Amino acid sequence: MADTLTIRTAGIVTVQDLGRVGRSRHGLPVNGAADQHSARIANVLCGNDERAPLLEITALDFACVPSSDILLAVTGAPADVTVDGGSRPQWEPVPVRAGEAVRVTGIRRGLRVYLAVLGSFEADYLQGSCAPDTILGFGPVLRSGDELVLRTACPPLDHPFSRIPLFRLHAPVPRFPTTWTIDVTDGPDRAEFGDTGRRLFDAPFTVSPRSNHIGLRLQGEVPRRVTRGEILSRGVPIGAVEVPAGDELLVLHRGRGVTAGYPVLAVVTATGLSALGQVRPGQTIRFRHRTLDQAVTAHRTQRNAIDALRTRVRTAFDALRIRAQVGG
Amino acid sequence: MSSPDADGADMNGNVTILDCGDSALVAKAVGLDAEAGWRLVHALADALDAVGLTGVHDVVPTYDALLVEFDCTGTDHDTVRRVLSHEAARLGPHPARTKPARRFVVPVVYGGEYGPDLPEVAAHLGMAESDVVALHSGSDLTVRCLGAPAGAPMMDGPPFPGPVPRLASPRVRVDPGSVAVAGRQAVICPMPSPGGWPLLGRTPVRVLDLHRDPITAYRPGDTFRFAPITPDEWDDYADTSLAACHG
Repeated sequence: MADTLTIRTAGIVTVQDLGRVGRSRHGLPVNGAADQHSARIANVLCGNDERAPLLEITALDFACVPSSDILLAVTGAPADVTVDGGSRPQWEPVPVRAGEAVRVTGIRRGLRVYLAVLGSFEADYLQGSCAPDTILGFGPVLRSGDELVLRTACPPLDHPFSRIPLFRLHAPVPRFPTTWTIDVTDGPDRAEFGDTGRRLFDAPFTVSPRSNHIGLRLQGEVPRRVTRGEILSRGVPIGAVEVPAGDELLVLHRGRGVTAGYPVLAVVTATGLSALGQVRPGQTIRFRHRTLDQAVTAHRTQRNAIDALRTRVRTAFDALRIRAQVGG
Repeated sequence: MSSPDADGADMNGNVTILDCGDSALVAKAVGLDAEAGWRLVHALADALDAVGLTGVHDVVPTYDALLVEFDCTGTDHDTVRRVLSHEAARLGPHPARTKPARRFVVPVVYGGEYGPDLPEVAAHLGMAESDVVALHSGSDLTVRCLGAPAGAPMMDGPPFPGPVPRLASPRVRVDPGSVAVAGRQAVICPMPSPGGWPLLGRTPVRVLDLHRDPITAYRPGDTFRFAPITPDEWDDYADTSLAACHG
C-alpha cells in the first residue's frame, strides 16, 4: 500500500506549486503559491525540485500524520510547529517518524505557511500545474481525513545528542513586520495620474478583508486618474497597482485575470509580491519607490541566496546519505 | 511620443516598448489602424515564441498591445527589449496572417434573466432592445484575444452607435455563458466569476473544455456570430461544446 500523509486538522489548506506558467496567452492566470519565496525554500530544504507540489496553509491551525518516516520543512509566516508535542524549528528540515502528529498552530504576523515533504506527494495537474484555479474550479481545498499519497519515504534520522538540532542550514528568512514595506516600480500608465500618483508613497494603506489571491484591496488616500478615455483590455502583470472607480486601490496578485482595462500606476516588484502574499487583512502597508535596477538586483539577491541554500542542503544530505531529489 | 523618453519608452517603427515592472515589458502598436496594430502584436508574440528567448515565459497579445513576462534572474529588460525591437522591425507594419480564421455560431437567449442589463444598454444607446439584439447578432465579430476570466474570447464590439459603459458596481458572480459588452468590446464569460460588464444574454453552449490543451476551441482571428434563440430552445444546446462550423 502506498504511504500517505493524512490530514487531521485541515483549516484552510491547498496543494500548491509555483503556478501555471506559460498559459497567459490562453487567458489562464498563473496562480501558485502566494509567497513564492517561502514556497521555494520549503521545497529546497527538502531537496526537492522547487516546483514540486507542497501545502499552503492559510491562517488557521493544521495537523497531519505520515504513515512512513518522512523529512519535511515548514516555512512562511511565524507559527508553532510541533512533532508529537515537541517543538520544531521552521526554515529547517525536520525528521518525522511514521505515526507522529505534525501540528502547525498559532500562525501570526503573516498569513501563509508552506509545508513541503522530501520527495513530495501525488497531485492532480491541469495545464502543467497543480495550483488551484478558483475561476476554473480546479484544485480542491483539503478536508480533515484526506490522504495525500507520498512519493517517497525517508530513512529515520536521529541525532546522537537529541538537544542539538540535526540541521542548521541558515535559510534566508524574510521579515514578518507589523507594518509592511512593499516595493514598487513605476507602472506604464504612471503619467495618467499626474501629481496624484505621489499619494501612493505619502501615507500607509490598510488591507481590506475583501483581499485574496486574485488581488488585494487597499484603503487609503487613493491617487486619481487625471486623463479620460476608454482603455482597451490588455495584458496586465502580476503586481499591477490599479485604481478602479471608488475609494480603493487594487493590487493584482497571482490569481489575477490576464487582461484588464484600468490604468496601471505602479507594479509591485518580484520580492514585494512574495511579501504581499503574507500580508493579513487589517495590516498596513507602505509603498516604497524603487528603480528597475534596484528591483531586479533585490530579486537576484534573493534567488542567489536560495541557490546557495540548495548547495548547503545537497552537502548536508550527502553527508547524511539522504537521497535528495535536487533539481530545478 | 518621442524616442526614447523619460519613461523608458522607446520606439522602433510601429511599436513603443514600455517597462512594466521588474519582470515584464509592454509593446504597443502605434501609428497603425486597429486591424494592422492587432495583427502586428500577435505576429510579434508568435515571433517571440519562435525565438524562445531564455527567461521569457509568457506573451499576452491583446488588441493593440503585447505583454511580455519574464524571469529577471534569467534575462533582463535590455535583452528582451532588443529582441522585441528587432522582431518588430523585421515584421514591418503589415505582417501576413499565418492561421486561417474559423467561424463559430453561438446560440444566445437575450434579455430577461439571461441578459439582465439589456434594458439599460438599450436605454444608454437610445435604441429599442430588439435593435440592440439585431446589431449584436447581425454581424461576425472577430476574436482579438483570449483574456480574463479563464480564456474568455474577447471580441470587437458590435456596430453600436457608441461605447457601452461598465456597470457602476460589478457583480460578485456572473453566470457561465454570459454574453456581455463594454466599451467597444464584446465577450463571453466562460466560467462563473465576478464581472463589471453589462450582460445582454447567455449561451447554453459550454465554452471551455478543461481536458483539452489549450482549453479553448477558438483562437484570436476566429469569428463569432451570435444567433438569437428562445428560452424554450435552451435545452437543445445544453451539454454541447462550442465548435467551429464547417463551410
